[in-house]
Amino acid sequence: MEPSAAMSERTSERRLIEACQRDDREAFRLLFEAHKDRVYSIAFHFSRNETAARDITQQVFLKLFTTIRQFRHDAEFTTWLYRLVANVCMDEQRKNRRFIPFGEATEVTEIAERKSQETHFIRRELAESVQAVIAELKPKLRMAILLKYFEEMSYEEMAKVLGCSPGTVASRLNRGHKILARRLAHLRGQFVTEE
Amino acid sequence: MLSKHVYKQLSAYCHGELSSEEAQRVAEHLRGCERCRKEHEEIKLGIFFAQQLTRLPAPASLWDEIETALNQQPTPASWRLKFPRLAFAFAWPRLATAVAVLLVLSVGSVWFYLRLSRPAWDVEMIEGYAQVGSQRIGENGKLAVGQWLKTGDDSRARLSVGEIGHVELAPNTRLRLDESRSDDHRVTLERGTMYATIDAPPRAFSVATPSAVAVDLGCAYTLEVDESGAGLLSVTFGWVAFEVEGRESFIPRFAECHTRPGSGPGTPYYKEASASFKVALSKLDFQKLSAAEREAALTTVLSEARKEDAFTLWHLLTRTSGGERERVYDRLAALVPPPSGVTRDGVLQGDRPMLDRWWDELGLDTASWWRMWKGPWPPQTK
Repeated sequence: MEPSAAMSERTSERRLIEACQRDDREAFRLLFEAHKDRVYSIAFHFSRNETAARDITQQVFLKLFTTIRQFRHDAEFTTWLYRLVANVCMDEQRKNRRFIPFGEATEVTEIAERKSQETHFIRRELAESVQAVIAELKPKLRMAILLKYFEEMSYEEMAKVLGCSPGTVASRLNRGHKILARRLAHLRGQFVTEE
Repeated sequence: MLSKHVYKQLSAYCHGELSSEEAQRVAEHLRGCERCRKEHEEIKLGIFFAQQLTRLPAPASLWDEIETALNQQPTPASWRLKFPRLAFAFAWPRLATAVAVLLVLSVGSVWFYLRLSRPAWDVEMIEGYAQVGSQRIGENGKLAVGQWLKTGDDSRARLSVGEIGHVELAPNTRLRLDESRSDDHRVTLERGTMYATIDAPPRAFSVATPSAVAVDLGCAYTLEVDESGAGLLSVTFGWVAFEVEGRESFIPRFAECHTRPGSGPGTPYYKEASASFKVALSKLDFQKLSAAEREAALTTVLSEARKEDAFTLWHLLTRTSGGERERVYDRLAALVPPPSGVTRDGVLQGDRPMLDRWWDELGLDTASWWRMWKGPWPPQTK
């Protein structure tokens, strides 16, 4: 993004947040629209369960809206938001045993399987296999992978979100990547094709 | 001869997170080390798989559900409306009984709390083992008030700072828990490196080092102390105050500050300031210089200072006197003109309200914000 475009985006986000801090409901909705898909995607891939992903997303935005007055603009808003996402996901993981393992069909899977194009199916199968392995990672490794690949955060940003050092982020990603590579080694052919 | 293996850095290498020197070292090592090359291939494959994750659209009905829940949230205003009704709803005998029950429960809770809760932090080992007193910790343990925790050559530990944050300790770090109360958490870092992330009101967490105390103002930072007791505080988020015996430094994010035994905290500066600026500043802070050397160092600092470095010059105003303070004043005024009512004479005489008002012009938090937590100027500051 061009620096001026980035600055203008930051300015409009700042105004939006200030409006939320004045209890402007329309501003809440706009803030929700801007971030809902990314938050939901992380929640879904973390829990592998649509109901849980809905609950997590709902909790995140409720907490966000009820505490947004405490937000000071000396921090990145996304750091604040994704710290909430990580905390709610981890809390749900601890409280709840309903996160189902891969293999139990979800609505998303069923819809995908109806689409029969071969290339699409292979790609979909690859994505589903990746999701399954990610769902089995330890929660801390899983969250590091999701933040990196959905948010494209730097290690320093991730460290702020996860409350650890950039070195720990590097270590968690390293372990996550190795597990993915080893468990999906049989799909290595896809890598060669894509490269 | 091959350099140290690089497999722990490979994800950071692939993500472009290493400095150019580190990346070059990794690339050179990979050329000569088959083991690390294999690991590199594995990490690249893992990254490829992770990149296959797809974003999903949030369900369309989610906003309606959130809005419904928001409408059900009690607001302070609605509480005020409901409270009188609640009060009248209680008949006096029932109210008296309820108060008595609450009293018994409260006393019981306090007794239970005092008896069972010993102030201690949870310790989680990230790598290797640590020592608490004479006890070795493998995975999880406790660090009680008064106890020392020591990490080994290859070990790293994570401590929960009550309910307000975390501290991560690097290898070869020695730290003591001095106090753990809801509004006051204190540790001593004797040596090593700690990374703190604190989400609490300012001053709820502080770290004593051999030459200064780091006081948290709501932040994330790294603090290193070497064998000589010298330290370096580097802030990644929020603010930290570094202070000892009336000498204080305020360090915003992306800035750092050295401290030395016998001198206390130096002048804070942004990490991206020029190398010559930082070297000259260090000379002024910690070295015994002749008059000519001191003048040369000050000239470098003033000529290299950018607008962003105004907060460094602001700190220098309180650490210089006479002609040096005049030179600092002139350069700071050129970078950030003093607001109306702040006069040259007043600042040169060390007028503290004027200094605070000038601080407010620097584009950082207002002085009144941190004075609220920090209190007035230290008596020794001139």
